[in-house]
Amino acid sequence: MSSSWVRMAAARDHAIRYGFIVLLFGLIAYFAIAADGFVSPQSAVFIFQSVAITGVLALGVTATLVVGGFDLSIGSVATSAMMAAAYVMVVLEQNAVVAVVACLLIGAVVGLINGWLIVYMRVPDLLATLGMMFLLVGLQRIPTEGRSIATGMTMPDGSVANGTFGSAFLALGRHRFDFFIPNLIPVSVVVLLVLAVLIWFFLEYTRFGRMMYAVGSNERAAELAGAPVKAYKIWAYVISGVFASIGGILLAARLGRGDIASGNNLLLDAVAAALIGYAVLGAAKPNAFGTAVGAVFVGVLLQGLTMMNAPYYTQDFIKGVVLVVALVFTFALSGRGKR
Amino acid sequence: MGKDAVFRVDGLRKSFGHIEVLGGVSLDLHAGEVTVLMGANGAGKSTLVKIISGVYERDGGTMSLAGHDFATQDFALKDFAPNTPAEAIRAGVVTVHQNINDGVVADLDVATNLTLDRLSGSGAPTLFNPGRVRREAKAVADRMGLTIDLKARISDLSLADRQMVAIARAMAHRPKVLILDEPTSSLSSAEADRLFALLDRLREQGVAILYISHRMSDIRRLADRIVSMRDGVISGVFDRKPLDYEGAVNAMLGRKIRLDRIVARNSAKPVLTIDGLRIAEGARPISLTLGDGEVVAITGLVGVGKTALAETLFGVRKPLSGTMALNGKPYAPGSTGEAIAAGVFLVAKDRGENGIVGDFNIQENISLPFHKRMSHLGVLKRRVERATARQQIRELGIVCRSEKDEMSALSGGNQQKVMVARWMSQAAKLFILDEPFQGVDISARRDIAAKLRASANGRATLLFVTELDEALETADRILVMSEQTIVGEHRNADIDLERLLAEVAGGPLHSAA
Amino acid sequence: MKITRRLLGKAALGLAGAALLMQVPAMAQDRPAPFDKPGAVKIALVRYLSTGDFFQAYLSGVEAQAKALGVDLRVLDSRQDAALQADMVDQAIALGVQGIIIQHGLTESMKEAAQRAVDAGIKVVAFDVNVENPKIPQIEQSDRDLARLALEQAIKDNGESWKAGYVYVAGIAPLDRRNETWVEFKKKYAGINEVAMFGTLDNPIANSVANQARSVLSANPDIKVMFAPYDEFAKGVKIAVDEAGFNKDIKIYSADISTSDIAAMREPDSAWAATAATNPAVVGQVSVRALAQLLAGEDPGHNVIVPPTLITQKDLLDKDIKNMEDLSAKLPQFAHADVAMPAWMPNPNAK
Repeated sequence: MSSSWVRMAAARDHAIRYGFIVLLFGLIAYFAIAADGFVSPQSAVFIFQSVAITGVLALGVTATLVVGGFDLSIGSVATSAMMAAAYVMVVLEQNAVVAVVACLLIGAVVGLINGWLIVYMRVPDLLATLGMMFLLVGLQRIPTEGRSIATGMTMPDGSVANGTFGSAFLALGRHRFDFFIPNLIPVSVVVLLVLAVLIWFFLEYTRFGRMMYAVGSNERAAELAGAPVKAYKIWAYVISGVFASIGGILLAARLGRGDIASGNNLLLDAVAAALIGYAVLGAAKPNAFGTAVGAVFVGVLLQGLTMMNAPYYTQDFIKGVVLVVALVFTFALSGRGKR
Repeated sequence: MGKDAVFRVDGLRKSFGHIEVLGGVSLDLHAGEVTVLMGANGAGKSTLVKIISGVYERDGGTMSLAGHDFATQDFALKDFAPNTPAEAIRAGVVTVHQNINDGVVADLDVATNLTLDRLSGSGAPTLFNPGRVRREAKAVADRMGLTIDLKARISDLSLADRQMVAIARAMAHRPKVLILDEPTSSLSSAEADRLFALLDRLREQGVAILYISHRMSDIRRLADRIVSMRDGVISGVFDRKPLDYEGAVNAMLGRKIRLDRIVARNSAKPVLTIDGLRIAEGARPISLTLGDGEVVAITGLVGVGKTALAETLFGVRKPLSGTMALNGKPYAPGSTGEAIAAGVFLVAKDRGENGIVGDFNIQENISLPFHKRMSHLGVLKRRVERATARQQIRELGIVCRSEKDEMSALSGGNQQKVMVARWMSQAAKLFILDEPFQGVDISARRDIAAKLRASANGRATLLFVTELDEALETADRILVMSEQTIVGEHRNADIDLERLLAEVAGGPLHSAA
Repeated sequence: MKITRRLLGKAALGLAGAALLMQVPAMAQDRPAPFDKPGAVKIALVRYLSTGDFFQAYLSGVEAQAKALGVDLRVLDSRQDAALQADMVDQAIALGVQGIIIQHGLTESMKEAAQRAVDAGIKVVAFDVNVENPKIPQIEQSDRDLARLALEQAIKDNGESWKAGYVYVAGIAPLDRRNETWVEFKKKYAGINEVAMFGTLDNPIANSVANQARSVLSANPDIKVMFAPYDEFAKGVKIAVDEAGFNKDIKIYSADISTSDIAAMREPDSAWAATAATNPAVVGQVSVRALAQLLAGEDPGHNVIVPPTLITQKDLLDKDIKNMEDLSAKLPQFAHADVAMPAWMPNPNAK
């Protein structure tokens, strides 16, 4: 009796731990058979490329989830950074380095303001970052009076903006590194992988990451263990803001222009990836590896479905299903949801 | 006594996972009688109360409640099986839980709170009539002798006032059976007296009262019967007058209380000196010295400033005036981080709230404050972390499978040992423990106390405890706190207990009568 | 101009009357009433959609024509709130405007609001929203013509037989109308083989469509023509084509145009071959002109159609067109449409 009970518990443990990974491989196997040309290095690289931007955002929002917060402004930070990059290069006619620095600064400043609102002004995280989201959606339109930014555009004062996206900047979106096959891996994928490894190492292996988890799990206990809780929370939002702005840089480099956009889809996809990540390896908490797997999972699904000519609304539907299943994995099966 | 039971519990069983919490509890409650339920932490009192009040489902056994059909004179016991707290209340079994905030809605005013159940009941009118609410609330308050402003918001009230409101709210149901779970733990003695007067009145009205407490003064004042509980079963029922209090305590603990008289030590070398420290507006200043190797307990009722003093020493809050010195050097921590760096550690009270990081395992909980010392360039040295945790688990006798166990898998006593282990893993100059025996079984309590005494050399150890027994069992010196200051000092050798108790009660022996 | 500006400055100091007189354009007295005293004419633009280059340009056209006429223009922007847009029509009625332009919106919510305005004696024209009212002229850019021009160019460039990828999201009125033409073309030319249809409106749209197009291209590397009858779609497809390195093998045909579209089409070896577009500024001008005709008692006709222009990569390169201004200057048919243009109507493009 009891040994079979133990075996069942162990089986359930395994299901929770490896269920999602198995599902991912199952999915890949299915598409490999069902969709022609799904299995190829180019296809694999492309899956990474298609999720690179949301993946970077998701890694950032993971940091805020770890400290028990949330950042709704990442989508609009990304699009604001994209607009800023375009503005710096096209209107102010600066080079790529200036544009990148400007974007990163915007991300960091937005993160600081978010953190300040949440920690010192005591605005609940969802509300503070929601406010920031609206603020940025509006702010990014002000310099150009709502126009998208592209070389040759006419400014509100009638002059023509003659700057161009520097080739160094566009390379961020278009250059490919050789990897066995020439011109295989785009910069954005490298950025995604590097940032994923960085944030994973930071959260899992450094004392700062460990303390961020402590803050998220029991803020009071962390404070009484000597941690500067406020600083950790603000840092989490700064990380989130900077990552979102990196996503915005990649977006600008890919589009080659500054597009007016709220970035809400970026936000939703990023949050979905991070939440799916809860279920990976039975972590039941925000974690960088899970977030990366979650992003790839969504990428595989969308790539496969598009190759099979599934219309766009079915893709949203499937995304939703995956998210719900992941949340059930996390909260019901692992039993960690209730405290 | 020959009285008929109005409420009966028979063979009640309940397990959580593999752990049996109630192993067949049988209990009668009689009309017009106060039955005191005594039990050590973990005896199963709270679980029993939660089953009776419809919070938990029972695994086995029966409960029955007297009918109240005056027309047919049918007062026979009927099966009572509430699925929800609301059902229990409707049937006439009302519980005031230990956690005050469960009994009130903090954002609403007193009047609404007092009438809340009627407002949410099925027969309640759809439209909210503030005038009527206030009238009804006033009637309830008058019956209780409650003198709180009915328009005040609960969140603006003191804990004691909230407790009074919670109890008054329960009274508004005119219950047949009233269960009070440690209701006086945060009340002042005047407020407690008011509660007792009310309970007397209810007793006269024929309410059956189950009163859970281990405060002897409450028990002596109220009890008609005492039921002792231990390890999930009833270990003794005492209803012959005069009540055998000592027998009840023995049944609860399962052994004679053997106040292990400890050998009080003296210390010559001062570690912490406090001079003229004021922790609250209008409080008299505190001055004291703690010596190396000494274990000092500060005792006093809830709300006299024990936690405030602990937090001041640990840099959580700043004193209004006065100075502190640690090993002769001025000590004024601006944050918990600074306090820890200076060698002052605090095991905070209420581990669930202030100590345990639920997402972390034992090892990670132990290492929490000392990550800096266990890392190189910010990267944690997991091997050092694990070795530290294993050593602490061994030294404190923490019962677990490994240092990777979840905290939620541990018993209360072992969780508390982890909290103590967290701060014992590094050498302290001043080691503060605020209510370290809260929710801890007796054996874990003895383990912790013994470990504290055995390792006391090289630091000063300061305990804050409400239970006097805990101070007597652990400390070389006992200080008494009242009204945010120290009012008495005793060497734990030949203590004048009467004087000490009077100091705890707040002032000279004015209640000599 | 200088004098006017200085006088306007004085107006701010209180000389309102004098300023008003000077604001009246010189030729106003030659125009039919009420445009002989245009300063007293108030019109309102009630918008449903406003964000994006197209709507920005549309507004600039409305403003330019209103300025040329000298009328007082109020812009009410509901920002995609259908109920609010209907309320705004009532608000405009309350403001005492003589004419209203309804720009986009939903038939269900605007039909009655438009009728109320007509009942109040206000002249109304509607752009790109069918308010089902015989008294209200409908301003339209012909989506069918847009699609037709682009597809005819595709046939001209690639012959009558090719594998096609098609970007489409159903349920969006202009896209649905463009789709009708695509369906007709497929019927007419049996050689057109649509191997993939995809599309999304997730924003940034270009980025999302690029992701989809990449998948489509890896599944169907033999696609020769991409028909993306909306410039955001075309941008996304172009990014995917470039990333896949197919830019010399695939041609993209689209609809609509903007400065950044021009830049994308002008890139060396750009796959984006041609686009058909109606100048949104011109549509804005035509909207105001049709309304002005109504106010002057003339009939612009029930359907006022603004014809599109075909813009090819070759045009852009040959004429060195770099932005929308160049386009207007160097492709006159793009800058001005002779629609709703009676003799008395001032041309805002005239310098």
